[in-house]
Amino acid sequence: MIELERVSKRYQMGGEVVTALDEVCFSIGAHEYVALIGPSGSGKSTMMNIIGCLDSADSGIYRLDGQDITRYTARQLAAIRNRKIGFIFQQFNLLQKLTAYENVELPLIYQGLGLGERRIRVNAAMERVGLADRMRHRPNQLSGGQQQRVAIARALVTGPSLILADEPTGNLDSKTSVEIMATLRELNAAGNSILLITHDANVASEAPRRVRIADGRLTEEISEDKKKKK
Amino acid sequence: MTFLQSLKMAFSAIGANKMRSFLTVLGVIIGVIAVVVLTSLGQGALDQVSGQIQNLGTNMLTVTISTTRHTGIDAPTLHALVGHDGITAISPSISGRMTAKAGTETFSCRVEGAEPAFFAIRKMNVTHGRALTPSDEENRLPVAVIGIRVADELFGHRNVIGNTFSLGGREMTIVGLLEEQGTSMMGNEDERIIIPFSLAQRLLRQTSITTFYVSTESEDVIDQSEQALHRFMKARTTEDRDYSVLNQSSILDIFNTTTATLTLMLGGIAGIALLVGGIGIMNIMLVSVTERTREIGIRKAIGAQRTAILSQFLIEAVALSLVGGVLGVACSYLMLTVLRGPLDMPSLTVSMSSLQLALSFSIAIGIIFGIYPANKASLLKPIDALRYE
Repeated sequence: MIELERVSKRYQMGGEVVTALDEVCFSIGAHEYVALIGPSGSGKSTMMNIIGCLDSADSGIYRLDGQDITRYTARQLAAIRNRKIGFIFQQFNLLQKLTAYENVELPLIYQGLGLGERRIRVNAAMERVGLADRMRHRPNQLSGGQQQRVAIARALVTGPSLILADEPTGNLDSKTSVEIMATLRELNAAGNSILLITHDANVASEAPRRVRIADGRLTEEISEDKKKKK
Repeated sequence: MTFLQSLKMAFSAIGANKMRSFLTVLGVIIGVIAVVVLTSLGQGALDQVSGQIQNLGTNMLTVTISTTRHTGIDAPTLHALVGHDGITAISPSISGRMTAKAGTETFSCRVEGAEPAFFAIRKMNVTHGRALTPSDEENRLPVAVIGIRVADELFGHRNVIGNTFSLGGREMTIVGLLEEQGTSMMGNEDERIIIPFSLAQRLLRQTSITTFYVSTESEDVIDQSEQALHRFMKARTTEDRDYSVLNQSSILDIFNTTTATLTLMLGGIAGIALLVGGIGIMNIMLVSVTERTREIGIRKAIGAQRTAILSQFLIEAVALSLVGGVLGVACSYLMLTVLRGPLDMPSLTVSMSSLQLALSFSIAIGIIFGIYPANKASLLKPIDALRYE
């Protein structure tokens, strides 16, 4: 479903060229739950930005659902982000001036969906994250865990191919973190592909498949099914 | 994304920073008030003065003789012109300042000697009593038609028909009171005494005619009549500057052009005020784009197209300036209503043209000064915008 083929990304940093991604090959299949583990500066943010179509690679090929989107225009990439990727951020990134309902509705508005269709989908998504009774609250009236669940609802409301979760528990206490991780597991069980990006090996242990990134190169950890086979 | 949703977003963004939005809008309000009030005042002044000129009659010609040499022009020569070249009536006129006395009151004013036709030519209405008659003229009767200011000054009231006053040692009987005319470019039109021409020649000790008034069939033949008067005068004077023929409709034309230019100039100055308001909008929109960089990043991450961000900020700018435009028009309406009385311009109001001008200007200002910040917002890269703290 997601395939990176020899993808590289370099930055110019104060006269020095930093290779953030070095000919990375990587793929995520349908219904897969993958954790990308790496310390800061390892290139994991760059990786996430490229997979999330927020940034483009310098070289290599990126295929999403079989389409080569490496040379897509900004306009096409916006449409891909809108329909195929759902973002969950460490800082939640909700719009403070909008209610929970309106935040979740926003990607559907950008899709151009009608009011009735939007209402059905937003209600369903809020139901799935267990916040049906918090629709009219603004982010500052919600707890951190609730805010993150609104963000999750926003990510899944469009029915994306992949949910990108960037340190989703980074700003949450351990109890809430457990809840959020449980929600992600449920989503995966319901058929969503998830890429979890984290520096925390404990959090990453949630995912059946784990990939480590260091200095722009990936190393696959033995996945659980393979362990079982041994 | 529909226009309505963009509009809703724009207004919630404007509402989120009420004080700042108000101050920004204030710049446009002041600009719009300047445009509307100044152009309306210009238009009002134009209407007022051109109304006065029209009241004098656009089919009237005034001939002023400035030479002191004998021209041989007397009343009968002038009467001979009537019936030719579209000329319907002529009244010679002489005038001077004299002091009128009634009891202990004295009043110095303009005394005009005129024939009966004068009233019709000059469109002067007599509200009480009567105008001068041919018999007054033939018999040099000591009668007068006076303006209301004269009545006020000499008698303290306006019920003066039949009263007498003395003028240059002659006792004059008031036979008529002129309709109130107010002030014109020539001064107060109500401070005048009109007496028979033949009598005035004696009282003012002046036999040569200095001015005569001519009326023509209509405005259309006025040029023909003017030519005839030039021929008539040329035959009786030696130099061009010995006389002048004044055509009311050409005065009106000159006046209209002058005032239109003036109004345009005022409008231009006011336009600068509006421009300053627009710069205020641009400034605040740039601040807003910077402040909301993260919001733009989030919107882009969840799939907002460049055009969606562009239209969001552009609509916000236009909404700001349009709110300013509408409030400005409302304030202008109030100001003009208040000014109407003191300025004595009953027709003073927000004209349709200045309303359209103000509103279309404020929309244009919103677009012109909003496009740069909006474009800047729409071009932000999603990763940079998301990382912005």
